[in-house]
Parts: sequence; structure tokens; C-alpha cells
Amino acid sequence: MPEHSLLEMKGIEIQFPGVKALDKVDFSLRAGEIHALLGENGAGKSTLVKCLTGVHHMDAGTILFDGKEIRPTSPQDAFSMGISTVYQEINLCPNLTVAENIFVGRQPMKHGMINWKDINTRARELMSRFHMDIDVTRPLNNYSTAIQQMVSIARAVDIDAKVLILDEPTSSLDDNEVKLLFNVMNELKAEGMGIIFITHFLDQVFAVCDRLTILRNGTLVGTFDIENITKLELVTMMIGRDMDVIFNLKRAEVAADAPEMLRTENLGAPGQIQNVNLSLKKGELMGFAGLLGSGRTETAELIFGAVPAAEGTETVNGRKVTIGKPIDAINAKLAFCPEDRKRDGIIGDLSIRENIALALQARRGFMHPISMQEQNELAEKYIKLLSIATPNAEKKIGELSGGNQQKVILARWMATQPDLLILDEPTRGIDIGAKAEIQRLMLEMCGEGVSVIFISSELDEIIRCSNRIVVMRDRKKVGEVNGEGCTQQTLLNIIANGQQEDATA
Amino acid sequence: MKKKNVSLSGIMQSKITWAVVAELLILLVCFLIRPDFFSIKYQPATGMLYGSLIDILNRSAEITIISMGMTLVIALGGTDLSVGSLVALSGALALKFLRWDVLIYNTPGDYTVKPFILVILVPLAVCTLMGLFNGFMISRIGMQPIIATLILMVCGRGIAQIVTNGKQFTTLYSPFRVIGQGSFLFLPMPVIISIIVVAAVSIFVRKTAFGTMVESVGINPSASRLSGIDSRRIIMIVFALTAFLSAIAGLITASRVMSNDSNNFGINFEMDAILAVVIGGTNMAGGKFSLAGTVIGSIIIRTIVTFVYYFGIVSEATMAFKALIIIVVIVLQSEPVRKRMSKMGKKRMKGGAVHA
Repeated sequence: MPEHSLLEMKGIEIQFPGVKALDKVDFSLRAGEIHALLGENGAGKSTLVKCLTGVHHMDAGTILFDGKEIRPTSPQDAFSMGISTVYQEINLCPNLTVAENIFVGRQPMKHGMINWKDINTRARELMSRFHMDIDVTRPLNNYSTAIQQMVSIARAVDIDAKVLILDEPTSSLDDNEVKLLFNVMNELKAEGMGIIFITHFLDQVFAVCDRLTILRNGTLVGTFDIENITKLELVTMMIGRDMDVIFNLKRAEVAADAPEMLRTENLGAPGQIQNVNLSLKKGELMGFAGLLGSGRTETAELIFGAVPAAEGTETVNGRKVTIGKPIDAINAKLAFCPEDRKRDGIIGDLSIRENIALALQARRGFMHPISMQEQNELAEKYIKLLSIATPNAEKKIGELSGGNQQKVILARWMATQPDLLILDEPTRGIDIGAKAEIQRLMLEMCGEGVSVIFISSELDEIIRCSNRIVVMRDRKKVGEVNGEGCTQQTLLNIIANGQQEDATA
Repeated sequence: MKKKNVSLSGIMQSKITWAVVAELLILLVCFLIRPDFFSIKYQPATGMLYGSLIDILNRSAEITIISMGMTLVIALGGTDLSVGSLVALSGALALKFLRWDVLIYNTPGDYTVKPFILVILVPLAVCTLMGLFNGFMISRIGMQPIIATLILMVCGRGIAQIVTNGKQFTTLYSPFRVIGQGSFLFLPMPVIISIIVVAAVSIFVRKTAFGTMVESVGINPSASRLSGIDSRRIIMIVFALTAFLSAIAGLITASRVMSNDSNNFGINFEMDAILAVVIGGTNMAGGKFSLAGTVIGSIIIRTIVTFVYYFGIVSEATMAFKALIIIVVIVLQSEPVRKRMSKMGKKRMKGGAVHA
């Protein structure tokens, strides 16, 4: 490469128990460029970044930073070398002020005391550099997610950072906020900073990046200049040959006279979502499409009683039900795999067996325990059926990979033999193989007469599997189309403009 | 007793092992200094066995009983500070009913004890209600357990004072004496009661799915709720159970001295119970718990105290001495030490394999 590289990573290898997370990956970053790091979930993007920030330690390979070899041992270490990271989740203290958040841990001192005046002026200067005129003495949680994100970027660049890593910073931002962020990124780039940008939004890559590097299953696919690649090429390279597995999946058949399994009328919880009207047949797979925060999860939570409904009615298998809490839903044979697997799904320290038996046990009540023999049978059955990769059923679920954890949660619900299974982003953050398997399972269950609600941010996945697709925007249902013959463009149009009567014809 | 409990729940095996090792080490030191530490004599007059070991089991009974509940509280990620005050309250209630005459007629005379069973049942019932109050504040009002139980910790002794009009009673009523001073199968009654409690709680927790649900809520409340577990109910039951067990401990304490003393009964019991749980290998952050470990923890605490008394160490030093040994036990159990030990164990095994 003719130009001077700020950062050179060569032959990076990282071995995790059972998998090679990175295999001889090269990556370079120039000063004054925005470089996208792309790949499917589990491709190794975060691993590569974490290796740079000292969270993971390389088994092989070298990192040259400014021509010198470095080996960061911890995020603090990397930070002090000039490598700053902004993570997807905001790592700030919501109850501290904006200024305190920016300077926490490195407050300017005067006579052995914290110089508050200095902190506040400097924070104000820093924020105005990002064209943000906000009161830095107010607590952070007074501000929107976007501003909080800006604050974490401000914190990251205030030290003499040469490399800034942005790990999916835009996933919780709206369009205007994204624009604001891009302006800041361009300014930082003009100042000579090298920016690594991880995102799932391909449009954003083309909008702001100079080069991009694609990873797949822990290996390097290649590094390209943005002018020399099309979106289609990009997607093909990201997904690779595994596409076949998914493309061979077939939508479930729903008989025309299949009975109605779920009906909601004006179901709602003020402040969350209101006027949810859905009708789902037995064995039907309904996809929920829409952007993050469009109300997909809220709808699912409402149906399942994770958030109690304050108004409207819910009918399951022809019977009106009152669902005030999850156990009511479980008793009505509903099941719900939540979006945030770590927070709402797994019981980390319990074994696979205990995790699988949990919902069934909850339905029975603790005074009617599932015998050890039954539990073992359940565990064995689902480990085999879902090909969960584990040496035995007594392994803690927290020690499994994301995809396998997801399968265990799925098993937990399959064990309750539900009539309706709600899956909220079941394929997020898991590798492509597990993804294909989960989609296959979903469709098989439909074939056996289970109704499924499938929430996903990936439109192609929704279109591939769904019989019907409900499109949501701003916490409202804005359209409903048949899965058959639907294209991404149709869905995008509905998401953007709502459904016109002739659009579905 | 120890052995039996280890088999009752095999969880946290390694931590229990280290607690047992610590206990054995302390006993070994006792033995080396005075070989008669282990002697156990039978006294025909009372039909009971006597000796330091018996004394350790006897005197640890209250903490063992309370800490069965405390284990579950801690497994839920909480703490219960009110147990000591409930011990005092339970004792006060029992003595109030034993000395109804003095209270009502203000004339000491022959005791007019209501049906004796009331003397037992009322303290148990009242304390259980108090526990439900704790559970209510935590699960419905959303208070942190440490704060919610702090309320009762502070005012529980006050209530106990009110119950007895601030008076201290003594009684000679012999059926009541049995609880703390009687014997059964050559063992002091408190030992028998604690064995029954440990067995009952273990069976309840491990033979039903209650234990798993407690762990589940302690590890991840949100995921547990979405899996259909009614965590509020679990919390109510656990705090009520702990209060109930504290009441039992209170009856034993009161029966030992045949009196009530709202200012001194159960002092520091909450700390000893928490300590027993922690020594037993249950993490204060909640999650997996071990009742067997807790039993050993309770015995270790009592062994230390007995050791101090037995060897005539000045009583002012008891606390410091206790702290010292507990630090050693906790360090022995800590993650790094256990890892190193198990590594050393593996190496030795490898060496052995070569010889074989």
C-alpha cells in the first residue's frame, strides 16, 4: 500500500474454546480515513476490534501502530496508546453530568482539588466542536440517546486519540442523528484520525466510508475501496456460500380453512403501544418488519403479557384470555423468546438442563417438580433435536456460544409445547449456520401446526420465512402484506411511506 | 450430620470441601493443644452426652436454623437483617404467654398458662407475619432487601419491649424448658431441632423445584419472570420462611435461659447467619446456593467461639480471633486459591498416573 498506514494488523489469530474466532486476518487503517469493518454476526468483527483494544489476546499475529509494534493488554492500555472505542451500548453513568462523564477518571486538578470550572468549560468547548450546544452541567440522562452517544464519542476523542473505533454507534439513532454523527466523523477524519466503523447498515457504509474490510467466519474476505464495489457484491461476499442453506428453505403451507389461533382487538398499554389488531392462523408464520423501536418488540411483549395490557382483548384458540403476566400467557400456551438473550433469556449459572426445564416447571408450579429423569430426557431430546453443541446437559448455559444459547432458549419454549411461539430477533448475534438452523426449526414447527410470530431486522429473512408480514412504524402497524411475492423494496416502501391501497396488488 | 448434608446437595462441592478442611484444621489445632477436646461423656442424670463437640453443635443450633433461611435470602441476591430482632421478639412473645398472670393481673402467683401450644404457635405465627411484611416491602413496594429488613431490625426490638411492657420475665415452666435444655436420643434438643430444620428445608428446596426457582430469580430476575416464574411469590415465601426459622431460634434462646431479654437476644445473629452462608460457599450476589455449606459455615463460627472459651483466651479477643479465622477460611475458598489448589492436584494426579 503506497499510503502511510496508521495501523497494521497482520496475521491475527485468536482461538476460543472449540472455535477459531480469527484465522490469519490482516487489517490496515490509514490516518484520515473511515474504514468500515463488515461481516455477518459472528464473522469476527468484534473479536478483531477487541483484540486491538486489549480485551482479547492474540494467539498469533502482530499489530503495528504508527510503525511500532504494540500489544495492548487491556482497554485502558489501548486507550492510553491512543486507541479509543465507543461501544454500541452507552458506557456512561446516567446520573453524572455531561461534563463529569467526559472527564471522569481524568479530572483536571487544581491545588489537589477537582477544577470544576475547567471541566465545565472544556466540556462545553468539546461539545460545541460537535455543534452541540447543550448544558454540560445537567445529568446525562436528561438527554436523548443520540446526545449520549455523542458524549461518549466526545469522551473518546478528547484524549489524544489517533484511532477511534465505533462499534455499531448508529443502531439506536434516527436519521437526523445519524447525519450529525457522520458530520462529526468527517471532521475527525479531516483532522487526521483513523476511524474504524462497524455497522450493519450498508447504506451508511456507502455514505461515509473510504474503504471497507469484509470478514466471514473469522477469515478475511478482502479489503476494498468504496468506489470499486457494489452493494450486491458486498452482500454476496459477506454471506458467502452459506446462502444456499437459507435459500433452500421453504415457507410453511397454511391451509385456507386453518382455525384462527390468536386475535387481538385494540390491545394496548398506554405509553408502550396501543391499538394492536392482529389475527393469526394455526400454523401460520407472521413476520414483524420495521426499524428498531418501531413497536415490534412492544407488540410481542403485550401479547405475551411481559407488559400487561390495559385495554383491548386477546383471544387465543377462540377463547378470550386475560394475560397480566408471562405465566398467564404460558398457561394459554404462548411462548416468547425475547430479543435480549443475555438479559431476558438465559439463566447464566444454571445448567442447560435446568434452563430447558424452566418454563415448563414454572407452568407446573414448584410443588410439582419435573423429576430428574424427565429433565434429563427433555434435555437429551432437545440437545439432539436442535443439535446444541455441548459435551453434556450439565454445562452452564452461560458457557455456550450465542447460537447455542439461543437454541437452549428455543428448547425451553418447545418443551412447553406452545400453540404460539413469538421469536424476537432470534437470529441476531449468532453465526450463519445456527441462523439457518433456527429458521429451519421455525418453519418445521409451523408445519406441525404451531403459529409463529417472527421479529427480525433483516428483511430478507422475514420475506423468506413469513406467510404474512406486518410492517410497523412509530409504534403503529402501517401495513400488512403476503410473504409470497413480497420484495425488500415493497417492505422498505411501506416502512418509509406507509401502505397505499394499490401497493400490495 | 455433616456427611449426610454434603450428599443432600452436591453443589459447590469444591467450596464445601474447603470449608470442611478449614473446620477440620481448627479441630486439629484444638486436639493438638488439648487431646481431651474430643472427649464425649455420657451423663446418666440428664440422659445427655457432654463434650466440646456436642457443645459446638448445641450452641450453633440457632445460627444453623436461621441461616437455612438466610441461604435462600442470599441466593435471591438479598440479605435479611431482621433475624436477630425477630429472635428477641419471639422470645418476648413466648414469655408473655408463659407469664400471662403477671401481665394481666400484675400479681405474681401460679402461672395461668394458656394451652401450652399457644406459647409456641403465637411467636411462630407473629414472626412469620413479620417475614411476610419484609417480603411485601421487597416484592411489591420494590424496596431493597437490606433496607426493608433494616426497618424490622431497628423496630423489632422495640416491638418486643412493647409486648412485655419493657419487663423481663423468668419462668420455671418445665415443658418450655425442654426446647432449649431437653434431650432426645442422648443429644441436646436444640441439636435435634436443627437437624430436623436442616432436613426439612433441604427436602423442601431440593425435592421440589423451589430451590432452582430461587437460584433462577437470584441469577436473572428478568429472564425468570419471562419464563413464567412468579418471583414475588418466591420472595414472600423465602422471607416468611426466614422469619419463621428466626422464631424457632428465638424459642430455643429463650428456653435456654428461661427468660426474655429484648436487648440482648439475637444480638449479631444476622451477621453470624450471613457469615455462615458466605463461608458455606454461597455468593452474596445471589444464584447458586448450598445448604450443606451453610451448615458447615455455622459450625465453623461456633467452633471458633468454643475454641476461644475453651482455651481461656481473653474474651475481649474473641471477635478479633473470629475475624482472623474467617479471613483464612474465605481466602482458602477464594477463586484464585482454589484454582491453584486444583492445578496442584491435577499435577499430582498426572505424576500418579505415570507410576501406575
